[in-house]
Amino acid sequence: MNRIKSPEEMESLIQQIIQERGRSEKIQITLCGGTGCHAYNCQMVIDAFEQGIEKGNLSERVGIKVTGCHGFCERGVLVVIKPSGVFYQQVKPEDVPEILSAVISGEIVERLLYRDLNTKSKITHEEDVPFYKKQTRFIFGHNGEIDPTRIEDYIAIKGYAALGKVLSGMPPEQIIEEIKKSGLRGRGGGGFPTGIKWETTRKAPGEPRYVICNADEGDPGAYMDGSLLEGNPHLVMEGMIIGAYAIGSSLGYVYVRNEYPLAVKNVETAIEQARGYGLLGRDIMGSGFDFDIKVVRGGGAFVCGESTALFASIEGRIGEPRAKYIRSAERGLWDKPTNLNNVETWANVPLIINKGADWYAKIGTENSKGTKIFSLVGKINNTGLVEVPMGITLREIVNDIGGGIPKKRRFKAVQTGGPSGGCIPEDFLDTPVDFDELTKVGSMMGSGGMIVMDDHTCMVDIARYFLEFLKNESCGKCVPCREGVWQMHNILSEICSGNGKESDLDLLMEIGETITAAALCGLGTTAPNPVMSTLRYFRDEYESHIKDKRCPSGACKELVTFIIDVEKCNGCGVCKKNCPQGAIIGEKKETHTLDGNKCTKCGICFEDCPFGAVMVR
Amino acid sequence: MSNNKTGAVLVIGGGIGGIQASLDLAETGFKVYLLEKEPAIVGRMSQLDKTFPTNDCAMCTLSPKLVDAAGHPNIELITYAELEKIKGEAGNFKVQIVKHPRFVDEEKCTGCGICTNNCMVQNKAYFNRQPAMIELAAEDAGKVNTIINNYHSQPEFLLAILQDIQSVYNYLPSDILRVVSQQLNVPLSKVYGIATYYTAFSLKPRGKYVINVCMGTACHVRGAGMILDALTRHLEIAPGETTKDMMFSLETVNCLGACALGPVIVSNDKYFGKMTVSRVEETLEKLTVSANRRDAETLRR
Repeated sequence: MNRIKSPEEMESLIQQIIQERGRSEKIQITLCGGTGCHAYNCQMVIDAFEQGIEKGNLSERVGIKVTGCHGFCERGVLVVIKPSGVFYQQVKPEDVPEILSAVISGEIVERLLYRDLNTKSKITHEEDVPFYKKQTRFIFGHNGEIDPTRIEDYIAIKGYAALGKVLSGMPPEQIIEEIKKSGLRGRGGGGFPTGIKWETTRKAPGEPRYVICNADEGDPGAYMDGSLLEGNPHLVMEGMIIGAYAIGSSLGYVYVRNEYPLAVKNVETAIEQARGYGLLGRDIMGSGFDFDIKVVRGGGAFVCGESTALFASIEGRIGEPRAKYIRSAERGLWDKPTNLNNVETWANVPLIINKGADWYAKIGTENSKGTKIFSLVGKINNTGLVEVPMGITLREIVNDIGGGIPKKRRFKAVQTGGPSGGCIPEDFLDTPVDFDELTKVGSMMGSGGMIVMDDHTCMVDIARYFLEFLKNESCGKCVPCREGVWQMHNILSEICSGNGKESDLDLLMEIGETITAAALCGLGTTAPNPVMSTLRYFRDEYESHIKDKRCPSGACKELVTFIIDVEKCNGCGVCKKNCPQGAIIGEKKETHTLDGNKCTKCGICFEDCPFGAVMVR
Repeated sequence: MSNNKTGAVLVIGGGIGGIQASLDLAETGFKVYLLEKEPAIVGRMSQLDKTFPTNDCAMCTLSPKLVDAAGHPNIELITYAELEKIKGEAGNFKVQIVKHPRFVDEEKCTGCGICTNNCMVQNKAYFNRQPAMIELAAEDAGKVNTIINNYHSQPEFLLAILQDIQSVYNYLPSDILRVVSQQLNVPLSKVYGIATYYTAFSLKPRGKYVINVCMGTACHVRGAGMILDALTRHLEIAPGETTKDMMFSLETVNCLGACALGPVIVSNDKYFGKMTVSRVEETLEKLTVSANRRDAETLRR
């Protein structure tokens, strides 16, 4: 590896790699190796491909490439044949020989193709799958093309061209102006204009300055930052280098959750490789600009996603936030000017530099520009990561991209913004997704978690769930959050177990308002949101828990009973055999009965009954 | 309050807690014996500068109580002595105390200080005592030193150092935490502060297989709670505990980022997705079987 000594050398390296790749006639089998597919055991599929290629002596004609997350996690392990673009889903190791022979003969393995949920027709190519079709994948789309452990793959998609452009004569002020003009807002949840943040840090007195990439994605149910970092670390790093140049910083940190081992590994490899090419370190591209990046692993504390708590954690202290009388842009890490942005924000920077602020500003709504990656999870057919332009409606995301609710159940709500966000009911499904509109309906953009709930999800239980999370994760520094959230959680637990009082609802509102007014950090002030938004839209559910001692969704264990439907039960005996309590009685081929006194509501019979005869009331 | 109290009370430990208890008891009329293993009552509080939460000066709180306790007619100080045996039951205890020799006549000594000044052998000052250096077994010392040296013994990497130690030992052994504190020159309290604040750390040894149940929102709405209940029932331990045979530890994690597979559990880097209550038992078996096989393979190699 030779160090790149000038922006011109960078440009010629890009051209050289693109030409080399263009000449190769090898068929590439790309496999998703993201965390989701790892969980599907994609390593075994990779091994099978490697063995198959070796056995068949195909290494001249076929290559395999393990990429980052493609986004369609529901259907993993995902395999895409390039250049034809044939898309196979749910690939198992035993399917590999068939795929390999089809690849050689130019055929298609019909049974592994994706089947459209509505029309039931089979879809051959990746770009035609409805899940991908409706998306605008500027940032996330490259994940499927590159092996994150090889910098050349990133350079082949014109990676580091934006850095070359910047270093060949864009003064820092002009970069900041460009970012401001693009209208890019922080993707971590706050939505603060990125350009203004950069400018403040640049102008703040004090040396050195730091840039930080916040990859401490603590929101449960959100995993796009981790996937982006593990699937395309160079994109994020290129953004950071450009940002550091604009701000005048020579040291950056990536603060990443330790629960994302693959992201940690890939970003560390990427840093090494970038150093090898002289894209990090001293005198980058001969411009005299020095910059390096260090990786810091988080310790599993949600509050460390908050900027000041994150600084404390990098400094090797307990991750507690401080009051922000002075912005962290002025006094952040080690009390020096610090610019902290989310993974996705950094990833947008090269795009803006390459294509220009005017192009970028055309995407999205008036005050929210560009695209946003959401992790669409929960009770939805197509779980996965979706990148959509700002301004798309929730309905389009849930129905068209997400493919609706499984088992034809009814949609109830979508939760956005993680523990600081709120639940949006069906009436507001046509709300355009952008920073301001989501805030208007009582939720927030947040970092991009989007959890879909159906009529079997109890909203009181969801509120309790989030408060339990926040109670455990409260750092304990300020009283409103430490004690207030604890009390709210207690009240909700009582309601969920049928001991709620009518006065509880007012009390919840009152404590919630106090926490919002008085807590120290952003996570504290937004902590009551899950309760406030569900109280606003689903007050009737709270009331039936309190007045009728009933959980309408059948989710609160203390308030439900399991019953066997006499009409449907044909006495197959599966439930009787599997019940750990011996609570089910009945002769074979006769209707069974469930003894409510013995039942511990473990749910096995409900899951196992082949006829759906076990009901939750 | 009646004055004819019967019996006497033995308070063990002459720190601020013991002193205050003795004073309160003595005030209500009990005869109090205050036992302290050091040559003088005073305890740790005298080593502190300020106290939580009021930021009061520690000595200002403590010293009047010292004087009171020393002069109280109902309190008898037994210093430089330790409890050897205790017999009997509430209301009727018999204790045996070993008093260390002072080699100075306590009746006559007024604490004038002349002998201390004139003694030719210098004793290290009482409050400057250093905690004894912890000696680790050679193997452990090697491992710990490698980890600390990887980070150039810089205290700012305390979190990373603890993470690496945990990945070697599966938990944070207390001896090693002491060594870390000494080598990085960071107070032990700070090391423990970090170790107890971040949820990723465990101070107790964990089982061979740490089962992490994902409690992310996506998993929650798909029934992660039921899975956790089922694991609790099968393993007979609560989350955060370890089975007696040290095979399994049960823990929860906020989100593993594998939401499509929810509810998901992960154990020693192996993921089990789309869990159901009825598959819990089978999964545990699979885990032990594959574990045994892996052990056998390692042995063969």
